[in-house]
Amino acid sequence: MNLATGARLPATLNDLFQLAMMATMAAILTAAMVLQYYDNEIPCPLCLLQRVAMFGVCFGIIMHFRHGYSARNDGVSMLFALLLLIISARQTLLDIYPRPGHAYIGSAVLGLHMPVWSIVIAVAILFAFAVKFAALGGEHPRDPQPAPALGRLAGMLSLYVVTLCLINFGSVILQCGTDACHTSGYRLLGGL
Amino acid sequence: MMLAVFATLSLSLLAAYRGPRWLAALAMLVCLALTIGLFLFEIYSPEYGFRMPWLHVQLDGIPPRGIFS
Repeated sequence: MNLATGARLPATLNDLFQLAMMATMAAILTAAMVLQYYDNEIPCPLCLLQRVAMFGVCFGIIMHFRHGYSARNDGVSMLFALLLLIISARQTLLDIYPRPGHAYIGSAVLGLHMPVWSIVIAVAILFAFAVKFAALGGEHPRDPQPAPALGRLAGMLSLYVVTLCLINFGSVILQCGTDACHTSGYRLLGGL
Repeated sequence: MMLAVFATLSLSLLAAYRGPRWLAALAMLVCLALTIGLFLFEIYSPEYGFRMPWLHVQLDGIPPRGIFS
């Protein structure tokens, strides 16, 4: 299917938006892994669930580049952004009042701790999708594949996100085994 | 439980990248259900339930005739 250039522009802009969103998510997840391995900041269970929600946002975008545009893919991404917002807001409220056994986990970045950053990230994702829908509308018919360069970039970025997820999976196996997760050490490395 | 969450998440992303669409969707649905279940389990406290009593506030005093009177 060859589409006129005028009809292709919103589709290309949508592809660029999705690519930028996935690159941002990949950068955030990479930063989290660097903090975990370089600074030895072992993630708490709710922190891990927030990573799951961020990978869920990427899932909708990977489906978009593999199978073409569908409002369902955007819906899945927004659903996981909402999940991220709920989990991070609850964790922030858990630790907002200092008391024994409850404090923000990890070091602050620009004065904000990780769950507070997660709220900012979740709101930013939902805001970005709202702006995208307002500016580009809901339907973006295009050729079956995105532009070659864009498609290659999306493929590499998708592979990177999948690899990050597999590294996280391995890390969870080491940290939690088949039991509950703790921030005091890696269970399978004898840290507990 | 966290292991199952990440196992289904990895499966869904792998299937989304190179695999059947139905498997990706199914694995992601299972992952979402497990994530919500684990989240509720993590925030539940035997002492407080789902409440957060440390956030409660109380009025120091109520003006006897209201603020604008």
